[in-house]
Amino acid sequence: MTPTRSSLNPIVLLQVGFILLMFGFMYLPILVLAVFSFNESPYSAGWKGFTLQWYQRFFADARILSALSDSLVIAILAVAIAAVIGTLMAVGLAKYRFPGKGLYQSITYLPLIIPDISIAVATLVFLASIAIPLSGGLIQLSLSTVVAAHVVFCISYIALVVSTRMTNLNPHLEEAALDLGATPTQAFVKVLLPELAPAILSGCLLAFVLSMDDFLIASFTAGGGTNTLPMEIFSRIRRGVQPDINALSVVLILVSGLLFGLAESIRYQSERRRRGD
Amino acid sequence: MPRSLLWSSRRQFLTGSLTALSGTLLSGCGWTLAEVRQDAPKVGDRNELRIYTWSNYIDQVLLEEFIGQTGVRVIADTYDSNDVMLGTFQAGGRGSIYSIVYPSDYAVAKMIDLKLLAELDKSRIVGLENILAKFQNSQYDPGNRFHVPISWGTTGLIYNSEKLDPPPDDWDYLWQHQDKLSRRMTLLSEPREVMGASLRSLGFSYNATDPGELKQAYARLAELKPAIATFTTDAWRDQLLAGDLWLAMGYSIDAVLVAQENPKLKYVVPKSGSSLWVDTLVIPANAPNPEAAYAWINYMLQPAVASQVTERLLFATPNAAAYDQLSTQLRDDETLFPPDSVIERCENLEPLPQKAEEMIEKYWTQLTSG
Amino acid sequence: MSSQVSTSADKPRTALVGRLSSWLEPLALLAPAGVWLGLLLVIPVLLIFQLSLVPGIRPGQVVNPSGIENYLQIVQEPIYLRVVLRSLMFALGTTLICLVLGFPVAYLIALVVPKQWRNLLLVGFVLPLWTSSLLRSYAWITILRPTGVLNTFLKAVGLPAIDILNRPPAVFIGMSYSLLPYMVLILYASLEKLDRRLLEAAADLGANPFQAFWRVTVPQSLPGIAAGCLLVFITGLGDFIDPELLGGASSMTMARLIYNQFLGVTRNWGFGSALSMVIILAVSLAIALLLKYGDRSSANL
Repeated sequence: MTPTRSSLNPIVLLQVGFILLMFGFMYLPILVLAVFSFNESPYSAGWKGFTLQWYQRFFADARILSALSDSLVIAILAVAIAAVIGTLMAVGLAKYRFPGKGLYQSITYLPLIIPDISIAVATLVFLASIAIPLSGGLIQLSLSTVVAAHVVFCISYIALVVSTRMTNLNPHLEEAALDLGATPTQAFVKVLLPELAPAILSGCLLAFVLSMDDFLIASFTAGGGTNTLPMEIFSRIRRGVQPDINALSVVLILVSGLLFGLAESIRYQSERRRRGD
Repeated sequence: MPRSLLWSSRRQFLTGSLTALSGTLLSGCGWTLAEVRQDAPKVGDRNELRIYTWSNYIDQVLLEEFIGQTGVRVIADTYDSNDVMLGTFQAGGRGSIYSIVYPSDYAVAKMIDLKLLAELDKSRIVGLENILAKFQNSQYDPGNRFHVPISWGTTGLIYNSEKLDPPPDDWDYLWQHQDKLSRRMTLLSEPREVMGASLRSLGFSYNATDPGELKQAYARLAELKPAIATFTTDAWRDQLLAGDLWLAMGYSIDAVLVAQENPKLKYVVPKSGSSLWVDTLVIPANAPNPEAAYAWINYMLQPAVASQVTERLLFATPNAAAYDQLSTQLRDDETLFPPDSVIERCENLEPLPQKAEEMIEKYWTQLTSG
Repeated sequence: MSSQVSTSADKPRTALVGRLSSWLEPLALLAPAGVWLGLLLVIPVLLIFQLSLVPGIRPGQVVNPSGIENYLQIVQEPIYLRVVLRSLMFALGTTLICLVLGFPVAYLIALVVPKQWRNLLLVGFVLPLWTSSLLRSYAWITILRPTGVLNTFLKAVGLPAIDILNRPPAVFIGMSYSLLPYMVLILYASLEKLDRRLLEAAADLGANPFQAFWRVTVPQSLPGIAAGCLLVFITGLGDFIDPELLGGASSMTMARLIYNQFLGVTRNWGFGSALSMVIILAVSLAIALLLKYGDRSSANL
């Protein structure tokens, strides 16, 4: 400590120290998972030598891979459906005023607020009391019921992101297109959609990650043949300390880090373009 | 994100929800909550057999040999307590995909009661005569009409002999050394086993139905509760090996498994007695692929298969022909095949009357929620 | 964002087509989401309310709303009341921890750190949010178990081991860890908008930094604090994974109890529905409080 930078120094040190400590707290668990995925001993907290066997075991594990594919199918389907419905809704909410709009809007954002466990219970009860009896057993708990349940919260997140973009949008763009002779559909597809695309995409990424991460809703609504990745991970954790889960987490963290980078760069670029407007 | 909460005006939200709520209250009641189970048997893939089992009864070799013999691919899901398995069959529609399940004795009785099982066609099963006589006619399923026994054993205490001195010898040990064992022990997540152990430590039967006795047993467990780390059937194995736990209530066949990895882990059947259990093979009613299910039963009954899988996975086969083919080391393992003196102290879990069942369920919820 | 209806009426079209299309478009835009959410969210919530009025119902039985026994059971049985209180305690405690830890982090990132670092630091701080929530809890098991990372470290430096896995402290750690990024994000958004001129004015008027902080910064960021606390509280109240994986036998919460009523050992859909309604009611109450509180704080400004 040099006397010239005197009085601020202890405070700055304290601040830097605190920030470092908090970052350490946030990254400690991830670091631990990563380190232990290479540790030879399955139980010990000490270092017993480097190994790649947990990765080999993980990539050879048919159950995990099939759970991963179930999760991917569910997330992709749910996000695709929600992207269409959610975008339409966000556009509709921005363009129209109608009686009951407040109610409609608060229902839209309900899935962001209600805890997962309640959504899971509600969906199961709905399936058991209406969908299954009314369809005469045609609808059964299966992969598609999970998709249907995931669409619910995906809609909310996508609509939220798209709505934010809509409020920043020049409202006269679409009118101008209409005045120039475009049909409403053309105006929507050619003018509005390109403007909204980055928001839709980043909303989709968010929804995708949330769908991949969901344990509760999936375990309430999945049928016998469906086993998502979080369900598989949960049952393994319950069975005990499993070093191949460490390997799995490292792979998942890398993938979601990649997705996050993608989402951020989309957001960043669209923001820059918006500022350029 | 939470900004969205503020978007909707409160009044609209409240009036809306109030209207909606009064709407349901007025709407007709009397609808039926559907069984989420599938009614019609699904025409399954003939070359696929789904098995629902405890985690330690199958391995890759067993499944691959079965493909080799029959061409049927096996997909196995595992559960860690009879209640979880029963739950799968009662709600959730998940049970309907399985053609083979491995319930324990009293769970077999429950499943028969709930009409969840198909009666076995004995003419399609080869090798039943090899099953030891004492397993041929069970209390929980007279005449073995619905099940084939696959494994048996005792319930007891597995402990780290380095950490516990004197070693445990009876259920009472848990209460006497409660402080030392605090959060270093686990109990099974099986209501009947845990309540039974407490009943037995009080000198009552595992199958007690007297409300007073059950209440005492619950009170004793509630006393022990703060010291219990978790209720688990599987997870204790790794934690015991890692040294996080010193003692676990578990099944004899699991004890053999962990003792093989760490010889300091010992197993004891409590002096005052314990439970004697049998795990079985059953075919659910409306199983999607009964042919493959019978093929699996016949496969598991082959003495060579049964003895090899016993050697690999270390469980106690009730198959006399398979037992004869085991190595002497395994045959003499008293944890795996307890001597008659131990068996005499033990009781079978019997199906209980509805009322006692409900009491145990209630106490179990209280015990695990408290 | 005025309505499109008036502009389309100006167009040279027949009135009928105009009116039809003016109905068609909003319907096409809003109906799919409305139907989907109505079917899978609104109706189900009403259904669980109805189901919560049937004591002891299981699948296959007739639903005949008969009374509030399920709710009475929650209040009258000390065990269940304790579960509810424990859930509230976990949620409130976590909210407090997140606020105490999250506010300085958000404050430093938003107001102290050089501008070009801000985005990077914020993104870096919330990045762990994108990893699987199950695996994050699992990592804490690895750290906190009796022979885990933490105790190995403590032993190495000669400190006594601490035994918190399967006990409430572990749940607090796991939940705070999971929810801290949300708190920081929301507080950051609110602190970033802070009017710095007010701080300068306060300094000019002779306020020391602490006075400026308590009199200017905190009141201005109150809406953000309230929103952040609300989100953490709600999410914490419904959290299943952290109490289940880290809490062991002695930290049953409402979410765990609900899970058991539907998928676990004890099956009582009526009771589970009643518990779900309690969570939904608690959440609604929290939101109502925030709206009221938000109104007042905006009136004060």
